Amino acid sequence: MAIVLNTKFSLGLTIIVYLLLTGCSTHVVVTGEHPPVLVQPLDYNVGLVLNSSFTDYSFTREKDDQKIIITLGDSQTQLFSQIFEGIFTSTQRLQVKPQITTNPMDLVVIPRVEKLQVSMPDETSLNVFEVWIQYKLEIFDTNSALITEWSVSSYGRTQTRFLKSTESALHQATNSALRDAGAQIVIGFNRIPKIRDWVKRKTGSNNAR
Amino acid sequence: MPDNTLLSTAAWSLLLIAILAGCSTSSIVDEQRSDTASLELSSGERLVIMGRRHGNSYETEPDFINCISNNVANTGKFSVMPEQEFLDTLYPWFEPRVAPLKLQGMSKTLAITVVADRIKAIGIRYVIWVDGSTETTEEKGSMHCGMAPSGGCFGFKSWDKTSSYEATIWDLKHLTEKGKVKVDSKGASYMLGIIAPIPLIAQVKGVACEDISSQLKGFFSQ
Repeated sequence: MAIVLNTKFSLGLTIIVYLLLTGCSTHVVVTGEHPPVLVQPLDYNVGLVLNSSFTDYSFTREKDDQKIIITLGDSQTQLFSQIFEGIFTSTQRLQVKPQITTNPMDLVVIPRVEKLQVSMPDETSLNVFEVWIQYKLEIFDTNSALITEWSVSSYGRTQTRFLKSTESALHQATNSALRDAGAQIVIGFNRIPKIRDWVKRKTGSNNAR
Repeated sequence: MPDNTLLSTAAWSLLLIAILAGCSTSSIVDEQRSDTASLELSSGERLVIMGRRHGNSYETEPDFINCISNNVANTGKFSVMPEQEFLDTLYPWFEPRVAPLKLQGMSKTLAITVVADRIKAIGIRYVIWVDGSTETTEEKGSMHCGMAPSGGCFGFKSWDKTSSYEATIWDLKHLTEKGKVKVDSKGASYMLGIIAPIPLIAQVKGVACEDISSQLKGFFSQ
């Protein structure tokens, strides 16, 4: 009888310790499909370099004994692949920046996450979950020369009253921020002054041949 | 003993008064039309109802848009495309940051061939933009709940809600604004704590949805 009680006591204690250790932690793995982009593709061969720091990206914040982890590597990899496959007629996904001689491409794009910020409902007067993601895209030409560095700041939010849990709210706010980033890249890419100049030069040299 | 009966009767009367008077919702509906004729919707043409979400301080709730879309679609007279399906089909041209706020902007969006072709392919004739939100304006009182078995909830809490929404109808065929519907609803809700909490909730947002839906339906049917 004493052994049974001891076993039950140990099990109960283990559960309590586990809950105490994990209870103040929120881990969100961002999933879900992004819609295909509706855009007239530009006729270029582009290399999209998604290295492991991008594909495995995870954000961690520890504040007031509350730990938040948002894993969005898979989701942003899918988003960026889909976006660039939509913007250009040919997109090759790469893990490292290619050598000029082995694999000539019109453009090489290397995105990275510069910053991710999370705001919880009790931290603002708006009573919403907010997520900001800042991306930096390095864009290189055929000769591997840097054309420009482009910063994209995206934002997503979710109102608390629509959702049941912190996890689902942060998931939805992150997905909104990713969707916003996608919209800005699709619409803004060929509006970047240095990209427009590059397109003009490229079109001019193609016409001259 | 008779005192207890009197007390009990008074409590129940108060509760009944609160139920009857407390949850009332008032609503003001205002409508503007560009002309008196009904809006035409040929076979194969559809409409979409979308929420405005470009503001910093609020965004039109997706559940409110779903409520209007379902109410309008349930008449069986019109084909209504769900908001999310429209947003995904036309991604990224109607995302909060880039969606056209005025007809001039819509004209620029429709000048993009792939967008115009897609809108034509899915048969969208009218876009109805809904802008607004429901806010809790005033909270009073308090309620305390204790743990079982000796506990229970005691106290009284009340709050007011205000819904304010404006719907604007755009005709994509002629690139004109066909009308506006504005709805302002107000209501007070109560929570009575008599051992168990008794909620008396005013359906402010529901009333706003019903009102705006029936006005919008009126634009199309004659």
